[in-house]
Amino acid sequence: MNGDLLFFIEISLAGLGSGALLALTALAFVLIYKATRVVNLAVSEVLMLGGYLFFAFAAGLGLSAWVALPLAILGGGILGGIVERGLIRPMLGENPISVFMVTVGLGSILVGMAELIWGAEPKSLPAFISTTPLFLGEAYVSRKIAVAFVVAGVTISVFLALFRFWRGGIALRATATDQAAAYSCGINVPGVFSVAWIVGCATAAGAGVLLGAIGGISTTMGVFGLSALVVVIVGGLDSILGALIGGLALGLIQSWASTYLGGEYTSVVTFGLLIVAMMIRPYGLFGTHEIERL
Amino acid sequence: MIIGTAKESYRADEALLTTQPQRVWMAIFLATLVALPFVLDDYWLYLACLVAINVTAATGLNILTGFTGLVSLGHAAFMAVGAYTVAWAETRLGTPFFINLIAGGLVAAAFGILVGLPSLRVKGLYLAIATIAASFILHFCFIHFDGITGGATGINVPPLSIFGIELATYFRLYWVIMPITAVMVLGAANLFRTRIGRAFIAIRDRDISAEVLGIPLLRYKLMSFSIASFYAGMAGGLWAYFFRVVTPESFPLMTSIFLLAAIIVGGMGAIIGGIAGAIFMTLAPELLRFGMEWISPLVPNAGALLSPVRTVVFGALIVGFLIFEPQGLAEIIQRIRRYFRLWPFRT
Amino acid sequence: MKTTRRMAMGLLAGAASLGLSMGAAQAQEDIVIGGSLPMTGVFAFAGISIEAGMSDYIKLVNDAGGIDGKMVRLAYEDTGYKVDQSVAVFNKLTSQEEIHLYYGDSTGFAKTIAPELVRKGSMIMGGASFASELNNPEAYPYAFIPGPDYTEMVNILLEYIAKEKPGASIALINSDTEFGRDPIAAAKARAAELGLDVVLEIITPPGSVDVSTEVLKLRRARPDYAISHGYILAPQPEFMSQAKALGLETKFMGTFWSMDSSLWKTVGETADGYMGVMPYRYYYDDADNAPMLDKIREMRPEYQSTGYMQGFLSAMLMVESAKRVLAEGKEMNGANLKAAMNTIKDFDTGGIMGVPISMPGNSIPVGRVYQFSAAEGKMLPVSDWINVE
Repeated sequence: MNGDLLFFIEISLAGLGSGALLALTALAFVLIYKATRVVNLAVSEVLMLGGYLFFAFAAGLGLSAWVALPLAILGGGILGGIVERGLIRPMLGENPISVFMVTVGLGSILVGMAELIWGAEPKSLPAFISTTPLFLGEAYVSRKIAVAFVVAGVTISVFLALFRFWRGGIALRATATDQAAAYSCGINVPGVFSVAWIVGCATAAGAGVLLGAIGGISTTMGVFGLSALVVVIVGGLDSILGALIGGLALGLIQSWASTYLGGEYTSVVTFGLLIVAMMIRPYGLFGTHEIERL
Repeated sequence: MIIGTAKESYRADEALLTTQPQRVWMAIFLATLVALPFVLDDYWLYLACLVAINVTAATGLNILTGFTGLVSLGHAAFMAVGAYTVAWAETRLGTPFFINLIAGGLVAAAFGILVGLPSLRVKGLYLAIATIAASFILHFCFIHFDGITGGATGINVPPLSIFGIELATYFRLYWVIMPITAVMVLGAANLFRTRIGRAFIAIRDRDISAEVLGIPLLRYKLMSFSIASFYAGMAGGLWAYFFRVVTPESFPLMTSIFLLAAIIVGGMGAIIGGIAGAIFMTLAPELLRFGMEWISPLVPNAGALLSPVRTVVFGALIVGFLIFEPQGLAEIIQRIRRYFRLWPFRT
Repeated sequence: MKTTRRMAMGLLAGAASLGLSMGAAQAQEDIVIGGSLPMTGVFAFAGISIEAGMSDYIKLVNDAGGIDGKMVRLAYEDTGYKVDQSVAVFNKLTSQEEIHLYYGDSTGFAKTIAPELVRKGSMIMGGASFASELNNPEAYPYAFIPGPDYTEMVNILLEYIAKEKPGASIALINSDTEFGRDPIAAAKARAAELGLDVVLEIITPPGSVDVSTEVLKLRRARPDYAISHGYILAPQPEFMSQAKALGLETKFMGTFWSMDSSLWKTVGETADGYMGVMPYRYYYDDADNAPMLDKIREMRPEYQSTGYMQGFLSAMLMVESAKRVLAEGKEMNGANLKAAMNTIKDFDTGGIMGVPISMPGNSIPVGRVYQFSAAEGKMLPVSDWINVE
């Protein structure tokens, strides 16, 4: 195979891998937005917290990674539940910007707490993914990235299936479409809210563990969430499929930009893309177009 | 609670200060501002100047977000544009201070119009995120247009001088920064006595209705963006003279969040809110420093807690005010006023 | 509006009285070293050990009777590694005490406060920043760098490479920050002079986690050495583990702030072979004629990080300058202190640095290349002390 072509395929595979992580994080945004119409910027910090919880269980308590991982995810879920009941419930009916800012404030609180508990210095997670490289044909793929890709793919497929076939998933979709109608069909709407937050935050925490396994953890790792936010805005805030496709596409584009233009161009390409996408389809590629009435 | 009214003209009705006590208190307040530099030491003067700069920036953001309802998380980028303009003009052209500062404001305003363009198509959160995107793109430009911006190391700014007098100490800078801030705030207060200001408020309350009423949305939204960015640019210009170095890392996204937090805590859609919020949010971390010093004999290692505690308090203030006091400090101030209006007779 | 005013006035009056009461008398007998130290925030791990290093040296000086009978004292506050906080701390400390020596925590702060130092003319400042820009006595007359600046650090590495493997190919990996971009241009020029071939430049955006694409670039370029700068730890371990997995022979190198051995110890096996430039000795270094290292080990039985050594040496340079100024009976001010510091020639640091040092300008362009051994969990010297004046 031609060397340049092989190189192109390899960086594209790497891009798809990191795109899968983006998609997984974007999924957390979408789940929460779909049910409660809240853009939860604190997803970034829940992600960070997931990494730290894993660190605490695996390195601090010396538990096996396979025990620590579900515990970290569970921790994220519990946090999501608490936040929904404590901070978001009282804000129901407020304008979305206020609730958005509540999540920004929440993010700040979580960062501060993490610094108080674990200190601010960067840490490495105990290795639990093997580092032996994987070869697809001749093309090299980092195993961690491959694992991230598979995990994200499976998780998103599971969610797509759940929304299609599971009662709870359909309840969530009904709530997303019309809350009043959902109430009158006997759907426990506040319950749906809680579930969405718990599952969303648990997903974010899981993504955080994967992310931490690749790049180590630090209190500033939440920055990653901003890229995921771009994914959901481009893909559509209420579309899981949009999160998947948007995430993979952004991963690819970032990877190409960083290879052929240079690493410093990734953020400008990312955000330039965001603005263009917004101009063309403000509600996202796969999002629902809402019509405003007076 | 006010009986009758002696106002004979709309002018009087719209005046900023309507009663005698208000005028007296305003005079006392201004006198305090004049007296401050004579009683404060360098540390508190530094904070006073920083507060003044933040008040200007927050007032600008309040015009955009609080009065027009357009949320911006890119305000720091406009400050950066102003700061860079001033630094560039000061080092390359050597033009007088005041021209630099106004130029900083105007260039920032021009960028504000550019960034505001999406505001007709997207609003609310989407707009907020578009402004984040714009600020990242600007950040990229600051690093890479190094002919103008000095690249990653930025520009060092010579001390501010007026008519050959060098204003390098905080004491002297105060006499430039504080009056400019006062004028900027006065301008903002007056803005909402005009057609433009009222149009902003109409847009905030319901933009489609405003358009039906004959307010051209695009023009007024862009106007709001440009005025807000002008304020940010002026604040950034003062910042450049104050800190004397401008780098791409001088105005991070955190500054935008800080300013938005300031107007949330202070009270959106009230001039006093922008002022109170900026004062409070700038001084709160410093008060925490003293708090930590105070408890340090009781708590081991209290010093190491300061920064995380500040981060937590910063977040908690945003969350707390949004949940419990959405109108912010401005509302608390109003409540105290109402209480004293009847004092000592309780309601 | 009246209560507004009332509140504001109350606040201001309170502030004023606080400020006044604090500006008041403090014991002026001591020689005070001021410090804006990052005890918290992203740079806390360094700030905490810097403080320990400075305090320990000051304790040694005071136990030996101080300078001319005057005690030395460190007055510092936490900045959280934020420039405006550092400036606030600077203003607070300088309005409370008479300070002639100062330790600043970041490049941004050093640059911000530099004009103020010139205006005040009363003190010299060192700090945690090794920014090349500060190494310019004309623009920054009162600044000093307690070691080589970032450009000089990279030059030390290049010199080492040129000796080990003439004509070697090199990749430069830098973070997209002011810190990271600092030595790039100078490094490329120096590499060309030494006949080294810079085959690849990688800039990583801040906060980037996945470096797979960058590793692929490395694989294609196959450099003999990769010099990274602008990081503390991440993403260097990931670079190394992926490069190792791909069978790359590339040797990874770093600069001072990523050279702490306790950080690399947490990385484990992957860290083996990581090299970098270190201007000071490590806590556990075996060295003859290192009385200071012995004293440190006596005072602190457990490992002290690179930041500790940096703080220790910074305090030593400050105290030495003050000593020389006082010995000549001159006034303590910025110009005299800096002149005294520049007279430091072939000065014995008691083994903190391996060779006698001189500070002709703003920096001490000396360093040594160390390599991490995962088996021992230590950084071991692989070169002699290199001077790149």
